[in-house]
Parts: sequence; structure tokens; C-alpha cells
Amino acid sequence: MSLLTVSNLTKRYRRDKKAIAAIDDVSFHIDPGETLALAGPSGSGKSTIARLVLRLIEPDAGRIDFEGNDFLALSGAALRARRARLQMVFQDPLAAFNPRATVARVLDDPLRIHGIASRSERPRRVAELLERVGLTADLATRAIHEISGGQRQRVAIARAIATKPSLIVLDEAVSALDVSVRGQILDLLLDLQRQERIAYLFISHDLGVIRAIAHRVVLLDAGQVAESGDARTVIDAPQSAIGKALVAAVPRLNRIIRQDPT
Amino acid sequence: MTALATVRDLTVTYRRDGSEVAALKSISLDIAAGERLAIIGESGSGKSTLALAIAGLLPASASIGGRIDWFLPSSQSAGAKAPPSVLPDISPSRGEIGSSTVGSSPTASVVGESRDKGTISPLEGEMSGRTEGGLVEREVRKSPFKQSYIPLPGRDIGFVFQDPSASLDPVMTIGKQIAEVARTHLGLTWLQAYAKARHLLERVRLPDPDSALQAFPHQLSGGQKQRVAIAAAIAAGPKLLIADEATSALDTIVQAEIVALIRRLVAEDGMTLLFISHDIALAAELAERIAVFRHGRLVELGTTAQIINAPSQAYTRALLDAHIGLDAKPLLNRAELQT
Amino acid sequence: MSPLRRFLRAPEAVAGAILLAALIAMALSASLLFPGDPQAIAGPALLPPFQDWSLPLGTDRLGRNVLAELFHGARTSLAVGLAAAAAALVVGAVIGTLAGFAGGLVDEVLMRITDAFQTVPSFLLALAFVSVVGPSLGVVVIAIALGTWTGPSRVARAEVLSIRERDYVAGARVIGMHPMAIAFREVLPNALPPVLAMSSVIVAAAILTEAALSFLGLGDPNRVTWGGMISEGRTVLRTAPFLSIVPGIALVLTVLGVYLAGEGIVETTAVRRGLS
Repeated sequence: MSLLTVSNLTKRYRRDKKAIAAIDDVSFHIDPGETLALAGPSGSGKSTIARLVLRLIEPDAGRIDFEGNDFLALSGAALRARRARLQMVFQDPLAAFNPRATVARVLDDPLRIHGIASRSERPRRVAELLERVGLTADLATRAIHEISGGQRQRVAIARAIATKPSLIVLDEAVSALDVSVRGQILDLLLDLQRQERIAYLFISHDLGVIRAIAHRVVLLDAGQVAESGDARTVIDAPQSAIGKALVAAVPRLNRIIRQDPT
Repeated sequence: MTALATVRDLTVTYRRDGSEVAALKSISLDIAAGERLAIIGESGSGKSTLALAIAGLLPASASIGGRIDWFLPSSQSAGAKAPPSVLPDISPSRGEIGSSTVGSSPTASVVGESRDKGTISPLEGEMSGRTEGGLVEREVRKSPFKQSYIPLPGRDIGFVFQDPSASLDPVMTIGKQIAEVARTHLGLTWLQAYAKARHLLERVRLPDPDSALQAFPHQLSGGQKQRVAIAAAIAAGPKLLIADEATSALDTIVQAEIVALIRRLVAEDGMTLLFISHDIALAAELAERIAVFRHGRLVELGTTAQIINAPSQAYTRALLDAHIGLDAKPLLNRAELQT
Repeated sequence: MSPLRRFLRAPEAVAGAILLAALIAMALSASLLFPGDPQAIAGPALLPPFQDWSLPLGTDRLGRNVLAELFHGARTSLAVGLAAAAAALVVGAVIGTLAGFAGGLVDEVLMRITDAFQTVPSFLLALAFVSVVGPSLGVVVIAIALGTWTGPSRVARAEVLSIRERDYVAGARVIGMHPMAIAFREVLPNALPPVLAMSSVIVAAAILTEAALSFLGLGDPNRVTWGGMISEGRTVLRTAPFLSIVPGIALVLTVLGVYLAGEGIVETTAVRRGLS
């Protein structure tokens, strides 16, 4: 059974008194331990879908089933409790944390809110989480703005896995990182997936990265699904117009060598 | 190779809260006239600082050592407001440089720690350090000294920033923003400047240029705004176009369009392009030469083919290895999903 | 450079801090230097200043020690000014945060209430409130706060409206944080700096309002206040002008000190925020 099933999801925005469909009848599913990538040009609705799936905004129509339950039917305390299983990592790790927070507080919050560890136990759990994402425990006392971008994104991942989720939404989670750091973060994500069987909804504009780490891909265009399927199959031979345009636009390192051997 | 500008021992230090941070450490490189040169590096590499230093746009809090010499064509430098008394100062170097810069008269400009235009020392000109063909390493000059000619940002150098929303005035029409550049630097009347702006909007392939003249930036998409920013950057016919991460905020499809546009405009106008990017693949697609920066130092400089096929430095190789293209080896082991 | 050193480099801020420190010293030392009731008769009536060195600033119409009254009055001014400003800031920040964060109907209702308070001149509101409830220190504090909380409330709401769209607020929702915890732990602390920037103006205004209420006879009758002293001196303004002038100067210096020191703090913290 799928972990997450999104059916006929629709979200409209009002602009100049006209309702514009940001998301128009989108359906997809994610299996446990699977990486599904969402790709598309800007304005195609990738991030809107992420926010709908996380219930940060509410859809106008459609259905979201998560772990066998109607996710849209939840509210209040029941929704907050269920959020432990569905986490998110943002694009900009600096913006994703309270500017006054320390690393310890950022990781302590989910443990406290979901009653995962007692007050006396939490510092040890925070240290464990930091080590789990390849950081040292002494980082806990530092302020978020004092650590590097790569470290921050690791802390964001540690926070996301603190509540042992089954699905993490990664909204352009590696796009703002330097390439050398990006590789390490991707390795960490794959490592976690292998060990904890976490599924990822991987939102990215980078088809190269999607092809390298995703099982399946959904290509979006103007709020609708243009094409979906096995990530390598779709990206190697896109069928839709937007798929072809996206693939054609990717800068190629090797093509230069062959075409321009000066 | 005719140099448009030579950068020698350029050192830039930012002062912040009492401590000093070196953004560029003794950088020397030549920018050839008409070439497409990419500056690539990760965050903190100093690539944007180099772009700003070359454009003369560094903030006042930055202290600058070393020098940047310009060899702009005489037609361009004729308009420069260089005091005549300064010209003899650079004459010692004219002989050496003149042989390599056919059809252009060299004008040297020096970027000093303080931009004091008042003090003119003949010695400074003679000690220009370029007597050995401009390749001799020399001491970084810390003393305040004078520049004879600094190319004017906007007229001699066009600059395209990463975020077009931030570089365009939100309450001024597109037409006026472009026309203003043409009017200021080319001495056109408003009517001529608007005609020029319309022509430029056509050249950057903005749909419906007539109505775009009257539009405000917020009415355009990100890609269209960047086209407008490019139109404004080339309005005065600059010799050098600097694009600082100009496509990084755009999606892949729009990025490819903007890169194609920059390539076409540079070729049509015979401009020199300085393309600053974090993306080695994008730089390789556009540039003829690539300079790799790291921690404020120039790691490696070579033709695109050299850098991509035969990098001499480990860091360049690491950057190339870290690139995940469409032909990259998948990181994901497919068998795992079933287990 | 530390904020303290930056503060000390601004001469007007240092001047404000010295004035404020003097005021606080006066308030704290009042019962040490002038034990007993400052309203007790200490000598002959209407003794001019600098005549008798046991009564340096002379005596008033009833023979009370003016210097003792001045010291005890500093206490009232400072207490009322700080308490009223604190109440206004806390109430304003909380209501503004709730309105901005909750949005919808809650926002609508809270902002209409704010409008209602803002349309009534704050001094008239304080006057009416004290007249109805009766003059005492607590009532005066509430009366002043009633007219001043709307400013901080509007600033807090505007700030919260921008903060609530930030990623870290979405992040707090994603980890299942309770909306009230998000509002008061994540949003409010980050919305506070511009609200606190208003505090120097609010404290200064509160001190003046208190003086004005006392001048009109609506201060706490059991306490010496500078406004009350000015009011009493008014009846003998021609024969003993010092009775009005001395507390008047104290009032001007206090308001100036509070304002300069407050602006100095805002300025130094603003520079720090700009750089970080």
C-alpha cells in the first residue's frame, strides 16, 4: 500500500478577482522508502504541492491519504500529533530556523512536543541526532547563524528525522548549497533512506540530481502533471513538451568537450 | 591576445566589526578584448568581489590593494574626463603596450586604497610596474594614489546582477530606466533615448516592446525582468558586460534562454563578457576561458577545454566530480526499494 | 565593537543615561535622605530657596520641604512612567501578535477595538477613567496605559504579518508546535525590536501624562507628584515662582533623559542588527 496518495488535488489563487488554478487536478503516490521527485519550471506548482501535502495551506479540492488515513480530515491536536510522521526540509536553512535559536533548541523542540524523550534524556538524544547526521555533539550550544550552510542543512535534516517520520518533503533542499557540500548532503539523505526506510518527496529544478537520486519523477507544467514515471526513463527520453524543454535546458559539461575541442 | 584590462595583485579586504576579512588575495589575471571569460567558485570564493572590483562598485568599507589597468579603444577613452596632465605619466608604458594593442590607446587606471583624485604624483605613473610587459609581480601598493582613468560603470561596463527585482526601480517604468542610461551616457534627448530603449527591448526579445516601455517591473516575470536588466546594462554600448550570477535565480529553461541571449548580444556588439557563476557546466557552455576561484585565490585559469578535460588542480577536479549532470552515475541503488 | 561601547560613544545617549541615573538615584534615596512623610510640615511657609541650608530649595505654602517633595516625586514619576509604559507595551504586543498571527475574524475584532481606542484622545480617556474610578496610583497607571497601548499593538501586528510568512514559522508548524507556542515563542520575540524602539517615547509620554493628571488634581492624593507640586505652586506663582519652576525643570530633564537614553539604546541595537 502507498504511504502517501494524493488524488485530484486542486488549489486556486485569487488574482484580480479571477481564480487562477495553481494546482489543477494533480494525483500521485509515494511508496514507503521511495523517492518521488517533483520537477517543473518556476510557477508550475512544485512548492505549492509541498505546502498542500504538509497542510501548511489547504486545498480547494482533492484528497490526501497518508499512512492509510484521510490526512485532510485531521485538525487540531490530532493533526499536530500526526505531523511527527511527515517532516520537511527547506531550501534556505538560514530562513528555516528562528534567528534566535541555538542548535540544541531546534532539535529539542520536536522531542519535547511529541513526548519522545523526557527532559533529562533530551540532551543525550540531541547529541545522538547530531552524530546521526555527521555533526559533533558540541555543536549543540552554537547559535544557528554561527554555523556554516552545510552544517545548517544537516541540522535541518536532524530535526526532520527527530520524530522518526515515514516521509520527508525536501523542498529544493540541496539547491542553495555549494556543489561540494551538496554531494555530502545527498549521500546523507540516501544513507538515512537506506537505514530508516524514509520516503522522500524531492522537489527540485535540477534534473541531474533527480536522475541520480530519485526512483520516480513527476513533471509538472502550469499546475498539471505533464509526465510521470521512472526517473531515469523519463529524463533520458522525455515524451511531454515540457519534459523535452527541461532536459534540453540543462547545461551539459561533457557536450562541450565533444563539440568544442579547441 | 589584446588585453581589455589587466588585474595585478588585486587584494580586497572587508572591514566588519573591527575584524578584517580578505575577500581577494593577490589576484592577477588578464581579460582579453572580446573574450567570454567565466569566473567560477563556491560561496566565499571572492568571485563576486572580483566582479565588483572590476566594475568599480566595491563598497566604501572595502580596502583595495593592487591595480587594474584598462586598455579601452581611443574612441571610448576620448570621452573620458582624464586630466591631460596625467597622460605623460603613463607614457613610459605606452611603448610596451602599444605594440600589442593595435588601434587602441592604453589608459591606465589604478585602484588604490583611497580614491583620492587630488594627489598626482608623476612617480606613481612611472612606477606602474608594467615595464616588463605587465607580467612582473610587484608590491601591492597601499599608499593612496591617483587614477588617471577609471572606466565608468554603466557606460564602459554593463553590470547584470543576480536579482533583477532588486536592481530595477520598482516605481519607474521599464522604458524610463533604460532610456535614463542612454540619456546619461550617450547624451541623447529623452525622445531619442526612448527610441533607443524600444530598440533595446526588441534586441533582448521582450514580447511587445511598445507596451513594455510603459510597464513597471512587477508586471513582468523573473526572466523578463532579467532581459530588461540586460537591456539597461548594454544601453550605453559598454565594452565589458559583467553578469554576476545573472541566471542563478531563474529556472532552468529561462536560464538557458538568458544565456543564449547574453551570448548573442555579446557577439553582435563585440563586447567582452565576464560571466560569474557557481555552475561549472553553465560556465563551460558559455565561456571560452574559465578562471576557478577558491577562498579569495585564483586556483586555475585556462581555456574551457583545458579546465574541463585536463584540469591541473585538485580543486578543479573536485568541482568537476561534484557536478551532477544528466549522464552522472546514479547514486541510488535500485535494488534497495524491494528489500 | 560591543553595543555598550557604541552607546558610550554617542554623547547625547550618555547625557540621557546620566540624567536617567540621577533620577533613579533620587527615587531610590528618597526615603534614606528624607525619611518620614514628605508632606509633613518642616519649617516656615514659603521659605525661598538657598536661605536655610537644612531646607535648600525652601518650603511651599504649607511649610513642606520642597527638596524632599522633589525626591519623593521622582519616585512617583518613575514608577508611574515605567509601569504604564510596560503595561502598554505588553498589552499592545500581545494583542498585536494575536491579531496578526490569527488573522481573519480575530484580527478584525481586535483591530476594530484598537481603532476605537485610537480615535479617543488618550489624555481625555485617562482623565475620564480616573474621574470615574477614583485617583490612586494603580488607576493612574491603567488610565495612561489605556491610551498608549494602540501604537505598540499596530507596530507588533505589522511585524507579525511579515514574520508569519517566513519559513521558520512554517517549520514550527511542521514539527507540530501549538499555534499559541508559535505565536509567543517563535513570532513575538522576533517582532519585538521595533515595538521596544517605541518605549522611550512611551515612557516619556507616560511621565508627562501622569504630571498632567496630577496637575488637574487627579493624581494619587497620598503621594507627592511633580504635577501636583506645579499645581500647588500655581496659586502663589507671582510671589513664589520657584515652587512651580523647580518641579517643572525636574520634569523636563526627566523626559529628556528618558528620551535620549532610550534613543541611544535603540540606535546602538539597530546598528548591531543591521550588521548581523
